Amino acid sequence: MKLLHEPLSGQRQVVLGVVGVVGTAAVWEGVIRSGLLDVPGLPLPSGVVRGVGDLLPDSTFWDAVVFTLGEWMLGLAIAAVVGVLVGGLMGAFRSAFLVFEWPVEAFRVLPSVAVGPILVLVIGQGRLPLSLTVALACVWPVLLNTMYGVRSTDTTAVMTAKTFGYGGLAVLRSIKIPSALPFAYTGVRIAASIGLLVAVSAELLIGNGSGIGGYILSNTANATNLDLVYAATLVAGVLGVTVNLVMAKLDDVLFGWKKGLAQ
Amino acid sequence: MTEARVTENPVPPTGTSAELLLDGVSRSYGDNLAVRSISAEVPASKISVIVGPSGCGKSTLLRIISGLDEPTAGRVEFEGVPVKGVPEGLAMVFQDYSRSLYPWMRVDKNVAFPIKHLPAKERAERVRFAIDEVGLSGKEKLYPWQMSGGMQQRVAIARALASHPKLLLMDEPYASVDAQTRADLEDLLMRIQAELGITVLVVTHDIDESVYLADRIIVLSAPPSVVAEVIDVDLPRPRDHIATKTDPRFVEIRGHVTRLLRSKEQATSA
Ligand SMILES: Nc1ncnc2c1ncn2[C@@H]1O[C@H](COP(=O)(O)OP(=O)(O)O)[C@@H](O)[C@H]1O
Ligand SMILES: [Mg+2]
Repeated sequence: MKLLHEPLSGQRQVVLGVVGVVGTAAVWEGVIRSGLLDVPGLPLPSGVVRGVGDLLPDSTFWDAVVFTLGEWMLGLAIAAVVGVLVGGLMGAFRSAFLVFEWPVEAFRVLPSVAVGPILVLVIGQGRLPLSLTVALACVWPVLLNTMYGVRSTDTTAVMTAKTFGYGGLAVLRSIKIPSALPFAYTGVRIAASIGLLVAVSAELLIGNGSGIGGYILSNTANATNLDLVYAATLVAGVLGVTVNLVMAKLDDVLFGWKKGLAQ
Repeated sequence: MTEARVTENPVPPTGTSAELLLDGVSRSYGDNLAVRSISAEVPASKISVIVGPSGCGKSTLLRIISGLDEPTAGRVEFEGVPVKGVPEGLAMVFQDYSRSLYPWMRVDKNVAFPIKHLPAKERAERVRFAIDEVGLSGKEKLYPWQMSGGMQQRVAIARALASHPKLLLMDEPYASVDAQTRADLEDLLMRIQAELGITVLVVTHDIDESVYLADRIIVLSAPPSVVAEVIDVDLPRPRDHIATKTDPRFVEIRGHVTRLLRSKEQATSA
């Protein structure tokens, strides 16, 4: 047995991961089949896997997945742009901080999903109110991380630039923004996972049958094929994990210098 | 405010022209008087060293000279012009190279940082010259954090050189590297200074280093600091770590500076 910090080959990591997933599923299957846990509606892992099998050729499901992904990406993009802009301004300029501080504090505590129905009232059904709901949840980690990133720019780094004749705005552009980017990106990463959750939740509430949420809702209502519902949920989860992995990889590529620095 | 020129430390007469003039420079932070009325002349095209104990206001003084901070009293003149804001032709090397170099830029980009406004061709030439000057040719595409501390400080020196400074300020530049690297970097500095004829002002708390590098030593007392003495060092150049440091004149001056710093410490703690 290796301790947590000891290196392990990539192959062994994968094997151990698979053992964990399959093992959990097997124990779960055993618990239900043996009658230890007797609650109607609980899914059998084998049934869920069969459900995924049924989903794969189902084009309505894939339409739903594509809809949710588009909704989520639009929301995340809005949140990233607004969050980086406002957070950057708040980090760089005292006046901007004072102007935005209280509005941010106030809006931050609003549960975004609850704002969804209001948005539908104002702008009607469709993808936009869903995306805006996602954006409302996603903007805060981006905004706060960016603000913190700009503010925490190293004073020696700033002084160095000033001694080379860089003025306030040039320092902002050449030093503060680059050193805040990894923070902003971390904010976007956090927001990405939150956003997918909110996207599906918002669909359950105001989706009008669209997206993964709508798909789950209509199949639960029929109660015909619960395994399909669980399978859809599982696919949504896998989607989330995939997004996280891709963004982590991108982090390594773009901001490797941050990790190099920490060593 | 400018009338508050306390001339406790009259500027000693010298033959060389002063590149930099400090006249009664003081800086207080609230009630804490960090620097008390410093007057000194830094001659052109020479190495001057400010030596003094930790916390005596050396970094504060360099910030004022470089225009990053303002004195609460007194004035600074660079080439006869009062310093207001960061003057042209000045470069600074900080002790903390890992914070002063930009970790997202490779070595060549870091070195090119002060001259981004120049045409690409001239910029590339200057970068190559500066990197060559500090002995880092071939390392252009590394990131600073992939290098040893001594190499990083060389990058910082190259970056300063690329800006073609008339005045090079260095704040304890070698306090964070090992002894051998430090000796190498001291020699590197003296070689570059002799080659390019720039004016160098180094701040250090290391007495040996101050005597070894300096044409002129400005000894500061413990805080609130004043100039204890200005010493012109006439040890021959080029200097060498063995020959120079065993020279009886070197030993004598080092002893003198040590006594100055010691007696001031005792005076303030008594
Ligand atoms: N920004 C600041 N605010 C308050 N006090 C400061 C500040 N910078 C320096 N000081 C004080 O000024 C004195 C001199 O500091 P410094 O110039 O860093 O000394 P040195 O570089 O010689 O070690 C110290 O007592 C320090 O506490
Ligand atoms: Mg200091």
